[in-house]
Amino acid sequence: MKRITAILAAAMVAVTNPVFAEPGVSEDTIKIGIFAPLTGSASIFGRAAFGAEAVYNEINEKGGIHGRKIEVVREDDGCDAARAISAVRKLTAQDDVFMIHGGVCSGTVMAVRDDLERQNVPFVILGAASAGIVKPFKKNLFQPIPNSDVVATQMVDFAMSRPGTAKIALISHTDEWGETNSRVATEHLKNAYGLDISLKLALERSTTDATPQILQLRNAQPDFVLAMLYPAETALLVRDAHKFGMTTPILGNFGVSLEDTRDRVGDMAAMANFYTFYAYEPALSSPEIEPWTKMIAKYFPDHRADTFSYEAMGGALAVIEALKQAGPDLTRDKFIGAMESITDFQSGILNTPITFSADNHAGVNGGAMIAYRDGKPTVLKTWSE
Amino acid sequence: MFAQLVASGLVQGSIYAVIALGMTVLFRSTGVVHFGYGAFFMAGAFAVYVFSQVIGLAFVLAFLAAVAVLVLLGMACERMLVRPIAHGPHVAVAMMTVAMSYLLTGVARFFWGQEVLRMPPIIDVPPIFIGSIVLTAQDLLIIGGCMALVVAFFLFFARTKLGKLMQAASQVPRGAALVGINVPGFHMAMWGVVAGIAAVAGTLVAPVTMLYPDMGAHLLIKAFAAMTFGGFGNLGGAVLGGLIIGLAEQLAGFYISTALIDIFAYLVIIVVLIVLPNGILGKKEATRV
Repeated sequence: MKRITAILAAAMVAVTNPVFAEPGVSEDTIKIGIFAPLTGSASIFGRAAFGAEAVYNEINEKGGIHGRKIEVVREDDGCDAARAISAVRKLTAQDDVFMIHGGVCSGTVMAVRDDLERQNVPFVILGAASAGIVKPFKKNLFQPIPNSDVVATQMVDFAMSRPGTAKIALISHTDEWGETNSRVATEHLKNAYGLDISLKLALERSTTDATPQILQLRNAQPDFVLAMLYPAETALLVRDAHKFGMTTPILGNFGVSLEDTRDRVGDMAAMANFYTFYAYEPALSSPEIEPWTKMIAKYFPDHRADTFSYEAMGGALAVIEALKQAGPDLTRDKFIGAMESITDFQSGILNTPITFSADNHAGVNGGAMIAYRDGKPTVLKTWSE
Repeated sequence: MFAQLVASGLVQGSIYAVIALGMTVLFRSTGVVHFGYGAFFMAGAFAVYVFSQVIGLAFVLAFLAAVAVLVLLGMACERMLVRPIAHGPHVAVAMMTVAMSYLLTGVARFFWGQEVLRMPPIIDVPPIFIGSIVLTAQDLLIIGGCMALVVAFFLFFARTKLGKLMQAASQVPRGAALVGINVPGFHMAMWGVVAGIAAVAGTLVAPVTMLYPDMGAHLLIKAFAAMTFGGFGNLGGAVLGGLIIGLAEQLAGFYISTALIDIFAYLVIIVVLIVLPNGILGKKEATRV
């Protein structure tokens, strides 16, 4: 009697919960795991998680993908490798997600990428920009944002687009991130324009004063300063440059937001000579970016959208496109194949189309700079624009 | 150029000095090395921010309220967290201060985890030019505030009966208790006082460093270096150590390499501990047997 009851119970479970071969995929849901620094000093970059989640919520409101709604499971990694490993293990083993859309800090991505590769879990990067993430090539790993090589190259090209540029100084952190960015910029300047960096300076994290650096820059009188610095130190450099009357244009990196720098510096006059890498089509505060801002506000009314909030929206749209292309019989292999077939995908938010292929998973190969012009954020592809 | 570096070095050094001063006052009056002092400094800065920017109090009121809150916080920490283990090993008290640091930082992260907040300068005027030297009003306030605190505590410990009593109670607590001095009460008061100094330091420094939950950690290392350099427990030494480290960072950064600035404090700790273990103004400890 007990055996018959057990068989009947199992049959009922099978009828009410049809078994799908792929983890994280049910009849009406696709489970996506997001991990990012939602607290801690790097949490400013973790805002990318809200933009991505807003895109997924929006597609759910429109009926989902092949009848399935996206269910997001969000974890906080605090930009800490150990916490990221725990978060990803929870997402894959306990929450049983179909794929991961996560990783804002390169260190956390490096810590989890081999494990996800072994499990063949599709891993789409949320915001981590190190070019080393996609080297060596991993079949399951996609980077739908401009990486550090692209950013450093764009910064040099922008500086050299001003006629007469002959002296470029570089100031960076001495960590792996700063050194990698500096190396790419230095090599590109040499290879493409035959120039050497005229002055290289260090500015360490959590520094509260940049007087020695500014005085050295003022002495050297470069045409541009490339700043491979994190947001707080970039703001410090801009603030102290203004304090000492230095008018040399300072070019900031992808990790630095124009409006965040303005807020930190607290002086619009100091922002006159500051430009930073910009990945988006519409300018900040423009009517064109308003729909994206509203989309985030709709699902996260307490979240104040800024540059980093939009960072993963293009990637989320590429994920949705691939999920559509993969068809109703969704598998991880089909999804990876669909991602690799994405070519010149215009997300509407990124200013460069996303293109992946079977042997290249660095999807964004361009960008622009942004600066205040007449008090308004203005996107500039070249200096003369 | 040299004059500007010296001026900027004095400002930076004053920041280190004022934090080192708070730690030294506590060490001198209670014998506790406060590894959580950076977090108290952060809490002081956030308290001023909350009272002035969130609640909307006038700056002076916000400042006084923040100092009052920090004094109460310091006293509460002593009464509830330190006193119960005060007779245990020194390392237990030290670990408790580390735990306080993580607790306060964690609370700040909970409320402001995603924010780096800008604290408006106390006096918002254009930079001041003294010959070729450029200084902001905030720079001058930092130097002035630091010097005022140093003088006040120097006079307190050297010239007042209460100050001398506190030092005596710290050095021989059992003897002090035997003659009727309320040693735990003294200790609690000093925890409150140094927490109040942290609020003053946070108020002065936050417009320069900006506000974020981990803002105290980096400066704590510099303050330790200043204490080590000047001699543990020596008020003048802590301040002198802070100023020298600030100056040396600026000069070494300009004339040798900017990469030296960040490691300078660690170099100071290593070299001083090996060559001059008691610091430049510290006294050699003698134990009577």
